[in-house]
Amino acid sequence: MKFTKKTGSATTASPGTARLSFLKEQSIKTVFFFTAFFAVTVVTFILLFLLRDGYPIVVQVGLPAFLLGIDWAPTAVVPLYGILPLIVGTLLVTIGAMVFAVPLSIGCAIYLSELASPRTKKILKPAVELLAGIPSVVYGFFGLIVLTNFIRVSFAIPTGETWLAASVLLGIMALPTIISVSEDAISSVPHEYKEGSLAIGATRWQTISRVLVPAALSGIAAAVILGIGRVVGETMAVLMVAGNAAIIPDPIWNILSPLRTLTATLGIEMGEVSVGSEHYSALFGITVVLLVITLIINLSAVAILRHLKEGRAHGPARKPLISSATKESLARFAEIIGIVLLLIFLLAAAPWWLAVLVLLVAGTWYFGRDRLTRNHIQTLAFGLVGLATVIVLAILVIILQDIVMHGLPALSWEFLTQPPKDLGRAGGIFPAIAGTLYLVMGAIAIALPLGVGAAIYLVEYTREGCITRLIRTGVDLLNGTPSIVFGLFGFAFIVLYLNVGVSLLAGQVTLALMVLPTVIRTTEESLKNIPQSLREGSLALGATRWQTISRVVLPPAVPGIVTGAILSIGRAAGETAPIMFTAVVFSSRFLPTSELQPVMALPYHLFILATNVPGASTNKYGTALVLLLLVIGFYSVAIFVRTHFQNKIRG
Amino acid sequence: MSENCIISTKNLNLWYHEKHALESVSMRIPKKKVTALIGPSGCGKSTLLRCFNRLNDLIDHVKITGEITLDSEDIQGPGTDVVTLRKKIGMVFQKPNPFPKSIYENVAYGPRVHGVRDKAELDKIVEQSLRHAAIWDEVKERLNDSALGLSGGQQQRLCIARTLAVEPEVILMDEPCSALDPIATAKIENLIERLKEDYTVIIVTHNMQQAARVSDYTGFMYLGKLIECGKTGQIFEHPKEELTENYITGRFG
Repeated sequence: MKFTKKTGSATTASPGTARLSFLKEQSIKTVFFFTAFFAVTVVTFILLFLLRDGYPIVVQVGLPAFLLGIDWAPTAVVPLYGILPLIVGTLLVTIGAMVFAVPLSIGCAIYLSELASPRTKKILKPAVELLAGIPSVVYGFFGLIVLTNFIRVSFAIPTGETWLAASVLLGIMALPTIISVSEDAISSVPHEYKEGSLAIGATRWQTISRVLVPAALSGIAAAVILGIGRVVGETMAVLMVAGNAAIIPDPIWNILSPLRTLTATLGIEMGEVSVGSEHYSALFGITVVLLVITLIINLSAVAILRHLKEGRAHGPARKPLISSATKESLARFAEIIGIVLLLIFLLAAAPWWLAVLVLLVAGTWYFGRDRLTRNHIQTLAFGLVGLATVIVLAILVIILQDIVMHGLPALSWEFLTQPPKDLGRAGGIFPAIAGTLYLVMGAIAIALPLGVGAAIYLVEYTREGCITRLIRTGVDLLNGTPSIVFGLFGFAFIVLYLNVGVSLLAGQVTLALMVLPTVIRTTEESLKNIPQSLREGSLALGATRWQTISRVVLPPAVPGIVTGAILSIGRAAGETAPIMFTAVVFSSRFLPTSELQPVMALPYHLFILATNVPGASTNKYGTALVLLLLVIGFYSVAIFVRTHFQNKIRG
Repeated sequence: MSENCIISTKNLNLWYHEKHALESVSMRIPKKKVTALIGPSGCGKSTLLRCFNRLNDLIDHVKITGEITLDSEDIQGPGTDVVTLRKKIGMVFQKPNPFPKSIYENVAYGPRVHGVRDKAELDKIVEQSLRHAAIWDEVKERLNDSALGLSGGQQQRLCIARTLAVEPEVILMDEPCSALDPIATAKIENLIERLKEDYTVIIVTHNMQQAARVSDYTGFMYLGKLIECGKTGQIFEHPKEELTENYITGRFG
């Protein structure tokens, strides 16, 4: 502590100084308010621009014909703009992905939260996070090369690019979301419930299945909804494996039929459409539909999770969102749907041996279960839960192993430092690496000040009320917006309307908008972790709000903010859809010399090599590996900063 | 304490990490009586209670030596089925912990997990248990409402009913009234009085008056050791140990 002789003057400051410092505080607050309100502005802008560009098609063909028309043929002599097959495609892919992902994820979540020893958990959780860190174009690449081939051979069909492939791949991509949110939900069931049940003499499995999982059901539901949001908004991976024929499968349960989703349509056709045409407008119409669907999905998940959080804060007396009776009937309903879907799959598509096997198992279970003691059932259940976990791990290992094994031979000094030759079949990927780094650095330079400012405003300057609710909804909406929608918005607004052109700058801004919610949220979290007593201590000494924030609150929050920033960089580095129409070119021998030139980028380079350049097999894998390493590298740094910081606080 | 004894411990030691939480505790719990465990916070009374139904198994880094027997069978051995053990030894917790289910489902949970499926039979068990726990009249109209809507005292009696529904021999109570108001506490104390006709009750309590009111036998614990154990009247009126006397007369620390 330093005492000066001025201590007296602080209390009797002249009116002028007080006024000045008041003005300073006020203007700082206003700046933060605008950064916070930026999210709302962006959402409004996105909606306005998409509506503006999508509106003509509705006028042209009429809303019912647009939404319910069964033919999507925008380039035919008489163009048809019915998007029903695309909506159905999205729906079917999502259902399939959930049938695949939900049982695996819940099994894995139960294993992680209830069965795994602390040491096992320490290995498993980063593995799940790793699964979340793989860029979607790398998933698509893996799906295109390995998964579709596997499906083609096992079902003896001419091409493996099918609904099944898309569902399995997107299911895999949804796994980490569903696992981590459900695990959280199960782990935060009060310990007393578990003790109460065990003390009555229930087995561990009875406790899990009858008390813990039902108590966590809302959280698990939110997890599944978030997973659905992830699947519906995914573009690159589904585009690479779904076959993309704009048809409704015939019969509707034929999972070996190709299909096309809303997002894939945008990814495929946006690059080839002439600006301002009917077709162009139709694509924006699709974007609006997609945005509405994903926003509803994400907002409902957010609502459930927020309700849970508040319910916990207000104690257990509050009525649950869903009554226990409804929960049970929901569970039963889900069970029946599951069985019906399985039956349809077995009858329609599965090879006979699989059908026989499944029926055999089901039959044994049905007739034998009364003879099983509850210890047998527990052993069986733990076996299945363990199996789910093993499958999740195996998926991760298979993907990583495939890419590392095939990618390593491509890595060389030349590959990393030279521009591509012969359409990427030879030469290196240096401009793509540099371009990706330029893009993400620019994006974070834009998003970080805005995001941190917004978070400071939300946590430090206001009480919960109308305005914060509006801002938070804006952030949630932004967070739930699929990346391809950012891509289209960037194209319509920055590239065309502001006339910036396809350029580094347009890509950076688009990516910045995409990662903004992540930055805001992680900063908010780390600010909230700073104990209130520190703020009170500083304010009680007569410090102003801004002095308190800048000298007491922000410094210990820096590691958390840095973690969020690096996570955002990792996410931005792996994204293809937002930059596809705003910033990238496929091949360029030079680095950009100004912000207004287009660049190469790793994910886009991989996408083009994988889909449009035959015979680039070594370099494809090399690019995938470099991209994977880059993104995982960013994530590992983030995780390191986070754990290091946590240890320091506890230590 | 030469009477018929149901649980006994011999040289029971328990370490939690490095901490010696129970030190050679030897104790005999008489059948169909109420035994109270008293002592200052952190003296190990709850830990001892949780040894009886092996709920300490849930905590990592716990090491136990010595012998605990239920009806002269060792319950520490690896061969003991904890599930059967916990069916015989029920437990009521400090904070009422009804499951987030309906009142009916809370009570039916125990019989269900132990294999009762018949609806009529379940109805009977639920009614009997709720009556026995002296809460039937208050909840019979709303069995399908959420148990979380009950008051704290009602929740605790529901938890007792839930325990009774599996027909245990012993009921462990870990400061069952500490979260309740005096009226709810009086109800639970009356209930304990009646429970000893059919059950052995072991109650941990902070409240010495409560121990004096409800128990037949009392054990005084201090720093992980069982200092003294005997008939409640004797412990409170003629304690043999100076520590015990200091504690019950409030001259402590």
